[in-house]
Amino acid sequence: MSTAMIFSQLAAGMLKSISIFCWTLLFSLPLGMLIAFGRMSKNPVIRGLVKIYISVMRGTPLMLQLMVVFYGPFYLWEANISGYRYPAIIIAFSINYAAYFGEIYRSGIESMPVGQYEAAEILGYRPAQTFVHIILPQVIKRVLPALTNELVTLVKDTSLAFSLAYMEMFTIAKQIAAKETTFIPFVVAGIFYFIFNFVVAAGMEWVEKRFGYYR
Amino acid sequence: MKKKIVCLLAMTLAAVAVTGCGTQKDAGKTFTVGFDAEYPPYGYMDDNGEYTGFDLELAQAVCDMEGWELVKTPIDWDSKDMELDSGSIDCIWNGFTINGREDDYEWTQAYADNSQVIVVAEGSGIASLADLAGKTVGVQAASAALELLQGDQADLAGTFSGLQEFADYNSAFVELQAGSVDAVAMDIGVANYQLKTRGEGYKILDEVLNSEQYGVGFKKGNTELCEIVDKDLTKLAEDGTVAKLAEKYDISDLICIGK
Repeated sequence: MSTAMIFSQLAAGMLKSISIFCWTLLFSLPLGMLIAFGRMSKNPVIRGLVKIYISVMRGTPLMLQLMVVFYGPFYLWEANISGYRYPAIIIAFSINYAAYFGEIYRSGIESMPVGQYEAAEILGYRPAQTFVHIILPQVIKRVLPALTNELVTLVKDTSLAFSLAYMEMFTIAKQIAAKETTFIPFVVAGIFYFIFNFVVAAGMEWVEKRFGYYR
Repeated sequence: MKKKIVCLLAMTLAAVAVTGCGTQKDAGKTFTVGFDAEYPPYGYMDDNGEYTGFDLELAQAVCDMEGWELVKTPIDWDSKDMELDSGSIDCIWNGFTINGREDDYEWTQAYADNSQVIVVAEGSGIASLADLAGKTVGVQAASAALELLQGDQADLAGTFSGLQEFADYNSAFVELQAGSVDAVAMDIGVANYQLKTRGEGYKILDEVLNSEQYGVGFKKGNTELCEIVDKDLTKLAEDGTVAKLAEKYDISDLICIGK
């Protein structure tokens, strides 16, 4: 296989990896917020359930979660899972990353001084207004570096989709390597991951700058 | 600016949603073959990025006879049973060893002989299985060769100084070259392919670890589909298609169907 062909095959795989990345963020970023609220809930039942959710999601391998989400419906209910492969990947990645995002949001929210809530109350803000207009903008700023860490990890974690035989970049690199009997596809794959992560990190840096309006 | 980014993101998502759905199979007469795409010459990705190989072309020939549409689904070999059980593939057709698994699947007749062999570096001085005593032997994780060395050939494996499991043949051959393993156990078809692509410097020991056979495996109970494919294989062997494909992939010596 020519080097140009290796590049174009891996680029096609890269698109699939990026699609996993985008869809996962679309679902897990908002879901993480819900989890953060649940984790800080005054209701002990909700708080307990969310705690269990987070510890299961963080405490078991993502690869196992992928398999449970995809094959689970068949083994439990004999469901027909043809065509479910891609949605299963997105669901598994989303619920896993939402757990991490939830904790990152919580760290941001809980780092806000109580004085700000009191001041807002005196100024006549309702709790929801306080959160949206005063707390949230500051929280976003504070959690951005931690979020960037997770985003970069997610880019590399997309390779785990190979366990559900989804033809993302790393799976294709392995197949080409087997056929060509060389390691070159892996080097190319490494370059692709690096470039994508470089773009993600640069994008996040830009966002951080935009939020740095008090500096 | 913000709007532009949101717009761009939405477009990307829409685009991948469309391509994502494109891989779903239709309700028509399809025949989904699960295979390991890292297993040349039986199943692999060719120079044009298409999946091909002896087994896949044979599957295509069966589909042509029956008027089915062949769906090639590369699978993670470790998950093959889950893929088959859940119905996301109809059969496993990719250098699938029958021996030792007779009762776990519905099998067609065997179509190729396989043996587990030992590959060593040419100048190593290892010429027989007995010479492997005190040597480190590499073997692919979850492979038939590993099963063999832990089962029927456990006595032989006991003479080794160690059994080194590796993930893929590239790593194994690099280790062989670098001298961190002295020999590697693998299927003969794979060994021939590896030696042909890598050129000089390696040899296959004449003594083999065992002989076994490849067949097409269906889910237990799926006798109907299995019988159709089995009959078609007989016909393809009779009309010479099998022999022609075997020649193309350089495995004529290994074909056992129709002999």
